[in-house]
This record gives sequence, structure tokens and C-alpha cells, in this order.
Amino acid sequence: MWGFYFNELMRSLPFFLKGLWMTVAVSGLSLVLGTIIGFVGGILRAGRNKPARMIVGAWVDLIRGTPFLVQIFVIFFILPGIGIELEAFPAAVIALTNLTASFITEIVAAGIIAVPKGQREAATASGLSYYQQLRFIVLPQAIRTILPPLVGQYVLLVKDSSVVSAIGVVDITRVGWLTVQRIPEGLMVFGLVGLLYFAICYPLINLSGFLERRMTVVSTKL
Amino acid sequence: MISYKKVNKWFGELHVLNNINLEVVKGEVIVVCGPSGSGKSTLIRCINRLEPIQEGELIVDGMAVHDKKTNMTKIRAEIGFVFQAFNLYPHMTALGNTTIAPIKVRGMSKAEAEKLGRKMLTRVGLADRIDHYPAQLSGGQQQRVAIARGLCMQPKIMLFDEPTSALDPEMIHEVLDVMRDLAKEGMTMMAVTHEMGFAREVASRVVFMDEGKIIEIAPPNDFFTNPQTDRGKYFLQSILTH
Repeated sequence: MWGFYFNELMRSLPFFLKGLWMTVAVSGLSLVLGTIIGFVGGILRAGRNKPARMIVGAWVDLIRGTPFLVQIFVIFFILPGIGIELEAFPAAVIALTNLTASFITEIVAAGIIAVPKGQREAATASGLSYYQQLRFIVLPQAIRTILPPLVGQYVLLVKDSSVVSAIGVVDITRVGWLTVQRIPEGLMVFGLVGLLYFAICYPLINLSGFLERRMTVVSTKL
Repeated sequence: MISYKKVNKWFGELHVLNNINLEVVKGEVIVVCGPSGSGKSTLIRCINRLEPIQEGELIVDGMAVHDKKTNMTKIRAEIGFVFQAFNLYPHMTALGNTTIAPIKVRGMSKAEAEKLGRKMLTRVGLADRIDHYPAQLSGGQQQRVAIARGLCMQPKIMLFDEPTSALDPEMIHEVLDVMRDLAKEGMTMMAVTHEMGFAREVASRVVFMDEGKIIEIAPPNDFFTNPQTDRGKYFLQSILTH
């Protein structure tokens, strides 16, 4: 029986690859958008404008303090109530981007704040403007602190993307749910699902570890 | 060149600058000394508004630093500032450290700025360390890069905030030598330092502070041999006998 189901599963492989592609698409888009928004958020969060700091801080707390599943339901089911209709795919990307951006905001802000105050003072004393300081003095140093946890966050992003299956996006997890109804070998089916996630995440985990070692070496050398 | 009129500043309850009046003319070398917490650093950090003052007038090279509307970029570009902790940019070479402000603030071309940077690094005796990163340099060398960085803005005033306090004893002299040369070339300088040999040799006047007030202002020989206040006498005794 097991062999029969295994052959069935192998025949469904194209379906799984489609799911894999969907996971990559949702995660990849959210990764790019979330990184951009997260850097802007982090710069504001560590910035000198108090209202901006507070607004960004409140947003981060709100997103970190609520389950992702609930956030995605809010975006997918509740927004139409106020006249904003969204397809499952854009709703998934928006929710995941929002989640990722909030975490990256914290990572970027922490990296900026970790740059010693004397760096800013020296730059101020030589007449560099606030944004010149950020661009040439603070961010290049902060990026060493930011990069390893940033890539770590990408791993979480790929894994969290499985939640988008709840609103009907046919990602790997959804493909697993649909397949298991035909092939009632849960372990086998979700074993394959897990393996596919791992295939994306494992290189990222290694990259994060590599960056961490490299950044440590660089900062002790400098 | 630098003019304090009834300058006051508080850090919360602490009256860190208490009714400061001081005129520094072009070419003068002022050494500021006093016990820790007496407001010495704050006194010079106000000049380029690293610390804003709360009351009084502070005019630097004809520009009103106390006025919130004054654009500080221009004033800051004309004042070199050397910190106790060097504060070099660790991700840039010695040359990079000296050229960033001339390029970004003065709008110099990269080639022009690098020519200037090399000249200033050579002047502080670091011609062979131009492409080194700060972590590859000793404390004394780092502080000399910091001085060269200040000089690259071709400043009218150089400010030093305890420039030798973080250095090993054998490196102090190499920094003081550079400062001495600058003073002899006629640079207007204010230096917070307890290097009394330096003060005796090049200072035009010594400013002695305590608890946010200027207690004495005198030529170095007068101050060191015959301080007018008990506080000054006590301070001199404690630093000379340490």
C-alpha cells in the first residue's frame, strides 16, 4: 500500500513544484518589499523625529503582539467589509510583507542604535548633515550588525508563509492539505512538504551563519 | 574669534556652565583645566553646538551659535574637533577618514580631497599609514589621524577635548608634538588638557574651571606659579603631586 501511495505522490510532484513556486513567489515578494519598508521603518525608529518614532514603535508592537494568522484574516476577510476587495495572493503578500517589515524594522533600528554615539558626534563636528551621517558613517557600520539576523529573519519569513494557505493560496502547505485527501499517508505527504521548505531554508540558515562569522572577523579586524 | 557672554547651561539640575564670559582672539591657544565634572568639555563642545547652550550669547567667527536659526554646517566646517576617544570611522582608511567631510561638506573633488588628505596625514607624521584602517593603528597614530581629519577642513579653529587622556604615556608626546606645531603656526586653539608642560610652552592663557564656573584666567606662568584662588592652588597641588 505504501509503495502505491508513494508512486501516486511522485505523480503529484508537478503539483508540489507549483506549490513550491507559489511559496517562493509569496516569500520572495514579501522579502524584497519587507526589507525596503523595514529599512525605512528602522531608520525612522532610530531617528530624531519623535512622532515618527512613536508611530513606528506602535505599529511594530501591534504586529509583534498579534498572531500572524489573525493578521492575515483581518486583511483577507475584514478589509472587504470596508470596501477593499483583495485576491488571496495580494492579500498574502501584503500580510507577509507587513509582518516581515515590522521585524526587520526592529533589527535595523537595533543595528543603528548600536553604532557608538561618538561616530555621530565626529560626523556632526565635521559638518556632515543628518542624512550624510546616516548614509556614509552610521549605516555602513550598522550593516555588520544587521545582516546576520536579517537573513535569519528571511528563514522565518519562508516558514511563516505557510500560514497563507489558510486563505486559499495554493502554496506547498496547501498542496499538502489537498494531496493528503487523495493520498491518506499524512507522514509521507507532509514529509515531502517539510523537505521542500527545508530545501529553501537550509541555504539561508547557512548564509546567516556565514555572515555572522564573517562580520565578527571583519569587525575584530577593523 | 570665540566670544562667550553670560553663557549658561544646565544638565537637568546640574548647572554645568555658570555665567561664562570669555573672549578668545585669533591665534590664541587656550588651555582649559579643572577637576572632572567642572564643565571643561561642555565649554568647548558648545562652540560647534555639539551641546546647545540655554542662555547667553556665543559668537564664533562672527556667527551666532546661540541662535537656533543659525545654520551650523558652515561653522562646523571651519572648526576641527578632536575627541578623547578619537572617534575615527572604523570602516574607512586613514585617508578615507580625512577626505569624507571635504568631499561631502566642502564639495571638493575626490582627487583634490585625497591630495589634501595625504598632505595632512604627512604633516602629522603618518605618510606611511595612509591606507591603514583605524584598528591597525596605535592610539597615538589614531589620534593623529583624527587631528589630520580636522585639519583637512582647513579650519580657523581647532578644539581638543582631552586628546591625550586615552593614550598610553609613551604615545602622548607624539600627539602633543603635533598640537605644539599647530599652536606655533598660529592656529586658534582651545584644548581641554591636563598636560601642564604643553600648557606652559604654548598656551596664551589658562582657563581654570570648577563647578561650571571659570575660576581663573591667567597666562600659564602666572597660573602655575602663583594661582590667585585657593581652589586653583589645591588643584595644582593635586595634579602636580599625583
